[in-house]
Amino acid sequence: MGMKVRPTGAPVVGALAATALLAACSGGGGDDAGPPPDPWWITAGPGMDLPADDEDGSRFLTQATFGPNESEMTGLAYAGFDAWFEYQLDVAPSLHRPRLLARITAGENVLQNQRQEEWWYASVRGPDQLRQRMAFALSEIMVISDAAGALKNQVLGVSEYYDVLVRGALGNYRDLLEDVTKSPAMGVYLSHLKNQKGDPVTGIRPDENYAREIMQLFSIGLVELEADGTVRLDGSNQPIPTYDQADIEELARVMTGWSYAGATNWNFPQANFLAPMEPWEEYHDADAKTIVTGALIPAGLTAEEDLDAALDVLFNHPNTGPFISRRLIQRLVTSNPSPAYVGRVAAVFADDGEGVRGNLAAVARAILMDDEARNGHLAAPTTFGKVREPLIRLAGLWRAFDAGAATGRFRYWNPQNDFGQAALRAPTVFNFFEPDYAPPGPVADADLVGPEFQITTHTTVTTVANEWRDRILRAYPGFGSANQDTVTLNLTDELALADDPAALIDHLDLLLMGGQMSNDMRQTLINHVTGVDIDAGNKADGMQRVIDAIYLIVTSPEGSIQR
Amino acid sequence: MGASTFGALSSANLLHAAAQATPTYRALVVVYLAGGNDSHNLIVPTSATEYGQYLDSRQNLAVAQNELLAINPTTPDGRTYGIHPAAPGIQTLFEDGKLAFIANVGNLLEPVTKAEYDADSKPVPPRLFSHNDQTQQSMRVAADGAATLGWAGAFADRVVGLNGVTPLSPSVTLSGSSPLLAGQTTQQYHLSKNGSVSLSGFNGSTGAALRSTFDLLRAQSQPHLLQQQYRTMRNESIELDDLLSGVLEAAPDLVTTFPDDSGFAETMEMVAKMIQVRSSLGMERQVFYVKKGGFDTHAGQLDDQPELFGDLSATLAAFQAAMEELNTANEVTVAVISEFGRTLSSNGQGTDHGWGGHFMVMGGSVAGRDIYGTMPSLVLDGPDDSGDKGRIIPTQSMDQVAATLGRWFGVNPAQLPTIFPNLGNFASSDLGFLP
Repeated sequence: MGMKVRPTGAPVVGALAATALLAACSGGGGDDAGPPPDPWWITAGPGMDLPADDEDGSRFLTQATFGPNESEMTGLAYAGFDAWFEYQLDVAPSLHRPRLLARITAGENVLQNQRQEEWWYASVRGPDQLRQRMAFALSEIMVISDAAGALKNQVLGVSEYYDVLVRGALGNYRDLLEDVTKSPAMGVYLSHLKNQKGDPVTGIRPDENYAREIMQLFSIGLVELEADGTVRLDGSNQPIPTYDQADIEELARVMTGWSYAGATNWNFPQANFLAPMEPWEEYHDADAKTIVTGALIPAGLTAEEDLDAALDVLFNHPNTGPFISRRLIQRLVTSNPSPAYVGRVAAVFADDGEGVRGNLAAVARAILMDDEARNGHLAAPTTFGKVREPLIRLAGLWRAFDAGAATGRFRYWNPQNDFGQAALRAPTVFNFFEPDYAPPGPVADADLVGPEFQITTHTTVTTVANEWRDRILRAYPGFGSANQDTVTLNLTDELALADDPAALIDHLDLLLMGGQMSNDMRQTLINHVTGVDIDAGNKADGMQRVIDAIYLIVTSPEGSIQR
Repeated sequence: MGASTFGALSSANLLHAAAQATPTYRALVVVYLAGGNDSHNLIVPTSATEYGQYLDSRQNLAVAQNELLAINPTTPDGRTYGIHPAAPGIQTLFEDGKLAFIANVGNLLEPVTKAEYDADSKPVPPRLFSHNDQTQQSMRVAADGAATLGWAGAFADRVVGLNGVTPLSPSVTLSGSSPLLAGQTTQQYHLSKNGSVSLSGFNGSTGAALRSTFDLLRAQSQPHLLQQQYRTMRNESIELDDLLSGVLEAAPDLVTTFPDDSGFAETMEMVAKMIQVRSSLGMERQVFYVKKGGFDTHAGQLDDQPELFGDLSATLAAFQAAMEELNTANEVTVAVISEFGRTLSSNGQGTDHGWGGHFMVMGGSVAGRDIYGTMPSLVLDGPDDSGDKGRIIPTQSMDQVAATLGRWFGVNPAQLPTIFPNLGNFASSDLGFLP
């Protein structure tokens, strides 16, 4: 079952070149000059380590990117996984801030709305898809939010934070931890910016906020873990806390003496959200500290030296690998990874094979190429996978159908109202949903978790469906009420299949569901499409069939789960 | 036992219902101040000695003595108190006998003194001072964090039989999934502050066929558990919307006006609307959960706190007025809780995570204009400080507050120790603020 993007034995290069040309011309961004470069897979040439089949390729791209499209599936099936990863490591990062700056230079008023447009643009159009998907995952782990009053108006500052994640997404976690810690947006969000050493006279003491959350959420977590991420228990079967309040108070003293780069007055600094924070030694507590694990940071160090020492301790803590690995697996592949899977990924976090700890590119590859990622749907057919996050789904819809607006923008400014999420807009540092959320019902009854169910409520399950109406049933070519902001789906390939309902459904199954549609659902959809007149709805021939089918797949309970 | 989201009737619940007197409507509205409310600045001692101690501890975060709004508790404790100047509504509600404070509440397994805390000789809840852990612990039925039920969900399980046969759960959240409402036979229904959302998109000549297939797909069951879960949400959403949207639309507007530009006010207004239509929905017992965020005031506390307290105060006053308008004031109790109090000491820009804090209860049945329990010493490293930063050791437990609410709500008192296994560790299971 499923459309074959690469007919067995057929010569591929000619077809590939045609597909590539189509992809390069239909972007709609209008910001390219000169002839399009060869697509990555042409440059790479034919590979050996190909996806097992088209379904495997589609599933892989669902896990590793913002969603498969025909050209990427074709390329992967031609050049293979190695070449794909190589290209992803090589291609330049798609950043938000430079594009926002260009818009400001062009005289545009740039608000958080425009930041959201740039998030959509990079997520949908960025060739650095693995980096973008990892950055989004990291943005749900190392959380800041423009919902916080202090960041509401810091459009470039918040975009720079996302760029920190994009640049660091395939780098080393130690570097990322430091860049995140020194980010002024994080400094404002978790209030270690302008945090100063204690005053024995007034009793005013360092702010504990960042000290707590960097341990609880960004590195070691609350309780000791085994190498496979399972909770270690003491003699009375109780979890063992990784740190106590005293450890937090000590680390809070480390996190003193930082303010905006270039500030000339500690109390009234000029805000600079575009460069890492800088130390002010006179506000830094330079006395000795004993932080988590009993690590001693001696007296007399600078703010920078103190921070380095503390970040080394957190980064090298045995918890950090399994803790971060499990979270990344949950964001990309499955809500309930087996301990063995977490353990394999955490081992790569500990050593990428060349003695390097914290290599996120290697971690990403380990997550995606693990047998559980590739075959978990067969081994655990009733539990493997995750709820598709609505933001990723919409970016995926636009990728699958090469969508664009006349303006070249993706104008969807407040997805949190319908989806319960928007980039860097979580309600708290605990993200839109927590990694161990277990929705009451079949999932909790089976002792499983489903983090994304925390934003899948009786309300949002319907507001999300209503959004699909707008994005599909009111976004097809020729839609009468479209305007220049309408992100219109390119349905050329689908219209060509509209008179063959089974072929249409199989094509959409591969594109939107990894070829995993149940027979019941497939038959129901074929019946539906067959029952819609080819010229129904006063639309182009086949259009009603195509948009009905896409809408029904995207809103279906089956289609809402990534497996 | 498998949980069904709907208000399913079990024989135990029916028996319990039959044993009750003729039911009269009761609703419990739990307002959760997320992030850890700095209640030490909401109700402040104004008598000279205690205010001096407060000022010493709070430094730059102290509210000026002459700005505090005086209150006159029925039961004097030899000290005087005032309310934060941004909260005149709370002052008025208190003075009118419609609101009470519950002093120094927090998560506890059993009473613990400073000496015992220092000596590590009594168990305390795990992971104190951590947001999500303490939130869970304040809402779960056992403060050790092991339990999977929320206390309001456990209440709903025991009173659901009083409601008519209806797909609407007695537990309604307006702020997303809450551990508070996790029950065994009842599960929470999610309602937005704008009411029920209806599915749309089935227009034109092809709309009916599309809807028909949409319904076929949501009727298909799958073996995959996540798909089952999603399908359940989808089906419940549609079924409940069919029930609610018409009823809510048909209800006349309230005369009472709620504050503008406040998501919290809009949310509480929707709770009031739901209470307004209770009879049409066959409701005799309901629990509503509302979260108001922003209380994690590590930084910017001096700027943020007046806004937070102002919104809280004005919205509580409007809600109480709405209940009086609907003649349900005696049947509705609002409990204002938080996961922890905050440090008395300042970090310069705000406060950090603490332990004990003051809660509020409001409603016509509340024995208001009083402070229940003992207000703590505000001296750093003093008799109530767990260390030297002003993380105050609670003297009343969340369980005691919840049990008092549960008894009023109609939970059989004999069942309270089952719901709250640690309740017997405390002197009283009834703090006395409700009849």
